[in-house]
Amino acid sequence: MANTSDTIEGAAVEAGTVDRPTPRRFGFGRVGRAPNLIGFILPFLILSLWQIAAARAWVDPVFLPAPLTVVTAFWKMATKQHLARDFVASITIVGQAFIYGSVVAVALGIAAGLSRKVEQFFGPTFDTIRHIPGIAWLPLIVLWLGIGAPAKVLVIAKSVFFPVFLNTLQGIRSVEKNYIELAKVLTLTRWQLVRKVILPAAMPSIMVSLRYAAGLAWALVVVAEGLSGLEGLGFLIFRAQGLLLTDQLLVCMVIIGLVGFAIDRSMYVAQKRVLKWKQGYDG
Amino acid sequence: MATPGHLEIRNVSKTYALPGRPLVNVLSHVGFDVDPGAFVTIVGPSGCGKSTLLRLIIGLDDDYRGDILLNGRRIVGTALSRGIVFQDHRLLPWLTLQQNIGLSLENSGWSAKEKASAIRDHIGLVGLSGFEKAYPHELSGGMAQRAAIARGLANRPEILLLDEPLGALDALTRVHLQAEIQRIWEAEGVTMILVTHDVEEAVFLSNRVVVMSANPGRIVEDVAVDLPFPRDRAHVDFIALKRRILAAMGEDERRPASPRAA
Repeated sequence: MANTSDTIEGAAVEAGTVDRPTPRRFGFGRVGRAPNLIGFILPFLILSLWQIAAARAWVDPVFLPAPLTVVTAFWKMATKQHLARDFVASITIVGQAFIYGSVVAVALGIAAGLSRKVEQFFGPTFDTIRHIPGIAWLPLIVLWLGIGAPAKVLVIAKSVFFPVFLNTLQGIRSVEKNYIELAKVLTLTRWQLVRKVILPAAMPSIMVSLRYAAGLAWALVVVAEGLSGLEGLGFLIFRAQGLLLTDQLLVCMVIIGLVGFAIDRSMYVAQKRVLKWKQGYDG
Repeated sequence: MATPGHLEIRNVSKTYALPGRPLVNVLSHVGFDVDPGAFVTIVGPSGCGKSTLLRLIIGLDDDYRGDILLNGRRIVGTALSRGIVFQDHRLLPWLTLQQNIGLSLENSGWSAKEKASAIRDHIGLVGLSGFEKAYPHELSGGMAQRAAIARGLANRPEILLLDEPLGALDALTRVHLQAEIQRIWEAEGVTMILVTHDVEEAVFLSNRVVVMSANPGRIVEDVAVDLPFPRDRAHVDFIALKRRILAAMGEDERRPASPRAA
């Protein structure tokens, strides 16, 4: 990726050209720039306010333990209990659900995008299933598969499936007609058309939905684990509430937030990398 | 070097039927010959069917009456022997310049080495060496149009169609690229057919200018241009030819402009 920049920036247009090349940034260089500290101001303020509130005893510690208590609780959970195991349990479910859901969604989305027949075949069924929330599916699926991971994987995969499927379909359907015409002029075969024109054209829309779905999957695992099962961050958070272990509850919340943040950022980097040909507004 | 194609257009007519409206005669008994290696320009007002005619020649539309023959054979569908440059450069934004040009060679049946050298040669031909790995959004309008010309020529077609390729460019870039197209045409020796409504561009580039008129789309004049290349836009013969073509289009500048529907 980086090698494109040295070949191009050094090049000049041949003699007699009026078009002037404008030096531009290449690739996804912007992702790698120095971290901007402005984003840390607000978390710092919130943390300070929390500390002050706890120190001045504005709130009963049962409802809002001090930040330090939460850190201690984290240490205790990580060393004396099985926080790591629960964390891995949640991540595994999300990872599997995301991969199954999005692979099937992209595959079926492409099929439906390329063929009206396929779209019409699945359309009514999908549009109905889509409107039953994943969480509403959970009780039935748990009856079938038990309270273990498979039921959650299935339910979350379903929630991942729909946004990705619909965006893949939409992305394919909104490929510019001009490009199809060009493919015809260049005598591309159907397979070449799909691979070289239709899929890349649909990629921005697919990538956006994958990023959204990844975040959604992470949020849903917490709910699913809270509703059924005996491990995972979702289970811990509801157990902590029941036992009034507010410090543990906060530990789980912070972890969920940070992991969600990390997932979103990595999806963003992946998106930038895949769509490096796309020129967007960078702020 | 490409084998220049001999194009014959014989009595071509085309009508559009829009629901609830009378038939539109887009093309009515259009016929002319393009000699191998010639540069022929079709000029005419909007709606005279000149772009429709190009679509028929490239093979994107085969719903017409009459015959279009390339080297004696009736054209069927699209083929690599006929290249086209559209008004919008139509480079695929996710492919680099060299990948975009390479796309026209996908079905050429050439070896990887032949493809690579054809790509390199044509990038050089249009003066874009050094930009092989640039994405279209990194190119200016004029550079993108050069790239589109390179793509049109890379598979060595017998004929290259240019559908108002410079229409979207600024005046200075346009004049410059006209000179470039003239040079490329001489270098490649390929038959070229240009559609434009810029009469000066037509006289500057062509051996022959076919003037069309609308309602129905038909040929009203066929003007041979025998001035030596490169042409001087300020020469009296150049201006006289320009005036003659404008008059044939009903756009003679010495008369007050007649109100005309767009």
